[in-house]
Amino acid sequence: MIRTEEMLLNVGPQHPSTHGVFRLVIKIDGEVIKEATPVIGYLHRGTEKLAEDLQYTQIIPYTDRMDYLSAMTNNYVICHAVETMMNIQVPERAEYLRVLAMELGRVASHLVWWGTYLLDIGAVSPFLYAFREREMIINLLTELSGARLTFNYMRVGGVKWDAPEGWIEKVREFVPYMREQLKGYHQLVTGNEIFMKRVKGVGTYSKEEAINYSLSGANLRCTGVKWDLRKDEPYSIYDRFDFDVPVRTEGDAWARYECRMQEIVESLKIIEQAAAQFPAEGEIMAKVPKIIKAPKGEAYVRIESPRGEIGCYIASDGKKEPYRLKFRRPSFYNLQILPKLLKGENMANLITILGAIDIVLGEVDG
Amino acid sequence: MVEDLLASSPGLLNFGIFFLLATVLLLVILGFVTYAILAERKVMGFMQLRQGPNQVGGRWGLLQTVADVLKLLIKEDTIPKSADRPLFILAPVIAFAPAFMVVAVIPFTDKLQFADIGVGLLYYIAISGISTVGIVTGGWASNNKYALLGGMRAAAQMISYEIPLVMSVLGVILLAGSLNLNDIVDAQSSGWYILKQPIGFIIFLVASIAELNRTPFDLPEAESELVAGFHVEYSGFRWAFFMLSEYVYLFAMASLTTVLFLGGWGPLPFMDFIPGAVWFSLKFSLIVFLLIWVRVTLPRLRADQLMEFGWKVLLPVALANIFLTALLKELFNFM
Amino acid sequence: MIGLAKGFSYTLKNLTRKKVTYDYPNEPLPLPDRFRGIQKFYPEKCIVCNQCSNICPTDCIQLTGKKHPDPSKKGKIIDTYDINFEICILCDLCTEVCPTEAIIMTNNFELAEYSRDQLFKNLEWLDENDENKRTVNKP
Repeated sequence: MIRTEEMLLNVGPQHPSTHGVFRLVIKIDGEVIKEATPVIGYLHRGTEKLAEDLQYTQIIPYTDRMDYLSAMTNNYVICHAVETMMNIQVPERAEYLRVLAMELGRVASHLVWWGTYLLDIGAVSPFLYAFREREMIINLLTELSGARLTFNYMRVGGVKWDAPEGWIEKVREFVPYMREQLKGYHQLVTGNEIFMKRVKGVGTYSKEEAINYSLSGANLRCTGVKWDLRKDEPYSIYDRFDFDVPVRTEGDAWARYECRMQEIVESLKIIEQAAAQFPAEGEIMAKVPKIIKAPKGEAYVRIESPRGEIGCYIASDGKKEPYRLKFRRPSFYNLQILPKLLKGENMANLITILGAIDIVLGEVDG
Repeated sequence: MVEDLLASSPGLLNFGIFFLLATVLLLVILGFVTYAILAERKVMGFMQLRQGPNQVGGRWGLLQTVADVLKLLIKEDTIPKSADRPLFILAPVIAFAPAFMVVAVIPFTDKLQFADIGVGLLYYIAISGISTVGIVTGGWASNNKYALLGGMRAAAQMISYEIPLVMSVLGVILLAGSLNLNDIVDAQSSGWYILKQPIGFIIFLVASIAELNRTPFDLPEAESELVAGFHVEYSGFRWAFFMLSEYVYLFAMASLTTVLFLGGWGPLPFMDFIPGAVWFSLKFSLIVFLLIWVRVTLPRLRADQLMEFGWKVLLPVALANIFLTALLKELFNFM
Repeated sequence: MIGLAKGFSYTLKNLTRKKVTYDYPNEPLPLPDRFRGIQKFYPEKCIVCNQCSNICPTDCIQLTGKKHPDPSKKGKIIDTYDINFEICILCDLCTEVCPTEAIIMTNNFELAEYSRDQLFKNLEWLDENDENKRTVNKP
């Protein structure tokens, strides 16, 4: 009589494929996962609590460190929330700079996802190709803001720096270059039979499940829900651009892959149009008081980050610090569906599913 | 030369000569391993738009691997407290020894061969199967869950790929009418078997990559899933032994492919002024490059897909290939 | 099989392409003027207004002032000025608020030290941090 037993395996917090310090306690029978329990909090810094003692300007560098792969969108969401409360009209030039920075950040973020996802699946090279292009975006953003990842670029009422000389031209040149490289990516990976076998039909969920688990971003759009805040609730100046929202209906890892790859193309479209429409001159800062005090009351704004819907809720009692600050962090919400997806899956699919959700641990743990 | 020695009476002198020759071969192979690792890193680097190692030993990084090995030598040797100590120590030896043993039958040129065994090919395949035992032992003895999973994967994978490997070679054996590697090379003087056995060659190549545990079949040590698989608990020189056996197998497998399908030391027509050793090393380098190239490009298969591919695709195709070869040989007798 | 073949041709094409890596420790990284590295401090410009230490989100700046030695002049001059680079996040807010541009960013980002104590930079060190200063400090 053979006696088999289930094995309890700790995947992480030190594990190459958990993208940071994420821990998964899984019960496995051979290589089949019976039960998975995510354990989070290893990177918790208490951004929301810290913010209660900080002025609004001081909170901005903290938001950089939440979703550190697309810090520009985080910068934007806090600035946007405060601007909404104070009713500040942001100058046009600043809005264009913000949109350019955010969309460049979105492309960079998706590139990192693409590279690391393929690295998880076992191909080393795509990672380095993706980082070659990402490095160019990072260089552009460094020229603009002065930092490579933690930009701290946006301010309440505008942006810190105007575009340096020749920057817009560089951005314009980057768009066709990136399109050319994208073709190479598809050549290397998208048609690859091994890759298709790994991702097709893996980690499938339905439209209803996605909505019930309050997924957002590409994780939602892969099931056929056409929901993109840039289109459906246009903030900033997104209503001025012509772009599509890529949607797939399969709801598996492959659909998520296609959605994200297509989103890069759409972001490039926005960048191209924004660079073309960029106003020749203008202010980059609205008239704001030196010490920013949000009026008494509360506000909630939400925007589309590369990972999904990022929201910011501010309750203010009229002081220069917020009374309560809350971020709706998309990675955290997207992660909720993981235990359900992992049940009954193979060990190797764990990596494929977790990677396809595209989490950033800084954001999950706040 | 070696044939005479094998036939001569046993004595201390002959033993000394054998020992010396084996040591020389080991050093040659270690030299190869050193530069194969460097070549792999360099080629990978170049394909990934990097420079590869370029600090130790000039801009080609010629001493990089030497430095790495030195580092491994002086590293602390850790054995986990709850590991199965004797097996843990034994496992790298079991994994490495067969890797070196199989090299003995490879004919590098018509003169340079250590043991001209009548069933050389069978010897190679039989001995190389022992390495799996070493890997499974290592995985088991580490008393680590990742290592155990890696060891199990290694066992399953190697058993299922050994069979298509043998089956693909049967076509060659049918054509050459011999299991002796020298005879197989001689039989290819009229045309390489890669031309007569293209299907067999492809199956052999795929199965050999799986045997070598290289991407896309590197499941036993799948970095992103099992951290390092069966050798997750090994450090220092014990770990180096696993790595060493992997690269010695690379050497052996590339040599075997050259011998079986690329005509061994035989030259291209009208180019026989170039010595056989050069031909051999050229063809051999080509195979090694191919293996590196595969590693750079492809993602990893999943365990169940790997099994499916081995049993449901490779094996039937290999069987069909044998059938086809026999049919053609019998009916037309043109090969 | 076509997908695999395409991938192979892509990697082979890249074999001879120009390499994109930086030869970093041998050649300094090309950094734009706005880059935010370790601060440079001008003690003579400082008016001890405490704005930098107030705006710092991580409270890593500590400064003390003393009375101006020349009794005819008003105000204070700087006495000690320390930045703790264990917690400094190089967010650039201190240089943004400084009214006299006494503190500015440089391109020096090499902060690795053997001991944590060495990350505590004092006035003299920050004054001597002279290389690659930012030229345009205020937007």
